Amino acid sequence: MKTFAISGRCIAVPPSADWREQLAQILGAKPRRIGIWAELGLYGALRCLVDAGEKTLPAEAQIWLGSRRGTYVATDIVLKQLREDLPMPLAFLQTQPSQLLALLAAQMDWKGHACFVAGAEPEAILRLAAAQAGEDGMLLGWLDEMDGGVSSWLRLRPCEEVTGGFQAVAAGAIFSTQISHLRLDNTGLKVRPVA
Amino acid sequence: MKPVYLAGRGLACALGLDVQASLAALRQGGVATSRYSLPGALGGSFPYRAIPCPRGDWNERARDLVRRVAAEAGAQQIRSGALFIATSSFDIGGVEQGTAQMDYTSFSGKVAGWLEWSGPVYVINTACTSSLNALIAAQAMLNAGEVQDALVLGIELDNQLTMGGFAALQLLSPGSSKPFGANRDGLVLGEAVAALRLSAHDPAQWQMLGGANVVDGSQPTGASAAAVVSMYQRALAASGLAANEIDLIKVQAAGSPGNDAVEAQGLLEAFPKIPSLVSFKAAMGHTLGASGAAEIALLTACLEQGAWPKYEAAADTELGVVLAASAPDRVRHVLATILGFGGSHASVILERA
Repeated sequence: MKTFAISGRCIAVPPSADWREQLAQILGAKPRRIGIWAELGLYGALRCLVDAGEKTLPAEAQIWLGSRRGTYVATDIVLKQLREDLPMPLAFLQTQPSQLLALLAAQMDWKGHACFVAGAEPEAILRLAAAQAGEDGMLLGWLDEMDGGVSSWLRLRPCEEVTGGFQAVAAGAIFSTQISHLRLDNTGLKVRPVA
Repeated sequence: MKPVYLAGRGLACALGLDVQASLAALRQGGVATSRYSLPGALGGSFPYRAIPCPRGDWNERARDLVRRVAAEAGAQQIRSGALFIATSSFDIGGVEQGTAQMDYTSFSGKVAGWLEWSGPVYVINTACTSSLNALIAAQAMLNAGEVQDALVLGIELDNQLTMGGFAALQLLSPGSSKPFGANRDGLVLGEAVAALRLSAHDPAQWQMLGGANVVDGSQPTGASAAAVVSMYQRALAASGLAANEIDLIKVQAAGSPGNDAVEAQGLLEAFPKIPSLVSFKAAMGHTLGASGAAEIALLTACLEQGAWPKYEAAADTELGVVLAASAPDRVRHVLATILGFGGSHASVILERA
């Protein structure tokens, strides 16, 4: 059994209309040529860190990211470019979902373990991450650029002292403002509502 | 923490359609390189390490190779275990043919269906380090007792997007891959489907001790020496070993002018005495997301059966490291490294009983 406290979050389903302006404000400048996937991911992850009161992650913390369609838009653009010629180099880089992990690491001036898991439910990614994460916890994200966009992130830290008040929920429900803790055990995922 | 054994392996790559065929080709000095043509004024023809089976319908070819390689690894015994699919390109070759859709859930369901898999399925995509990150994740799940068996399945098959992207970035060699070579001039990409069967209950001669992945965003398409050193140190710590206990390192050494030099610098900083080094990139090409699993399958078979790659290119003496001309006499601890796109640096350490 593993229990995590949510110390920060960004739930953007969809992100607000001015999310690009907010991102530029966080970064200090408008990001250039990194694509909508990475922009949306940076927006949610960095807002989550701000909410957690952190400027970067501890060295032993981990980043885990999931998505259903990933870099769909950039991939579609490059496939069209390839019908006639080579793609633009930066356009190809934008097709790689894990480029966001590098951009995020660079933005935080951080080096550590980061992993993209394609298609799995958030609970499955959390279970995978929980098997590897240590006492510095993780930044767990779910990102999709389709259908208005989703960029939801949780800053999770191991927390064993909280024992009661947990209830079972559906996998997608972990990205909620109404939850304070997550717990994984043999019977599945449970959450503790905000008191 | 339960020990994790490498209980089975399967491999299809440019050298052959299974491990034994690949070993036989390696012993004979390798196989001829095929060519891959790309459209447009900036395109052209590039060397390519293709799996020696006819290209046609992408999905049918992928299905046949996945089933073949998984069976070679003994996957039919563990269909309720965890399946870790490692790839940088998913089924984009099928998308290019109009027979697949860009949807990760569909892709993972399709591959699981090919194998009649009933256990949990994870698709790991961290570009070139995908297979090693899948191994690290699988080991953690086995160590934690979440599953008893796991199959790491690296899949990297023909598609124009990857070749075109690497060509656009001017990362491809026009001739051949020259790992740590004096005249190295870029990568030669290749295809591979590789399977590593991990078990927490089936002791085997290879045990996975640990691994580490370090993402460093300072170089978007290349490696950084600081991250290479950190990767070695973390992998050693996770395995409970000191640097002088490593007998052999399977290096990335893909023939990249910049990355090979960075990797050599990291080796010199992390290892007071450089262990024996081996690279398979000249023989099988860089198989990207499948490369970690493919090269470990071939490496362990080489050490068990006495085969070794031959390097035709002259070594770059300025790097300060050199690939071993033959297998070391005694190998107990092997460190396998893949460096990749997205600033990802990954290593795993295996112990031979």
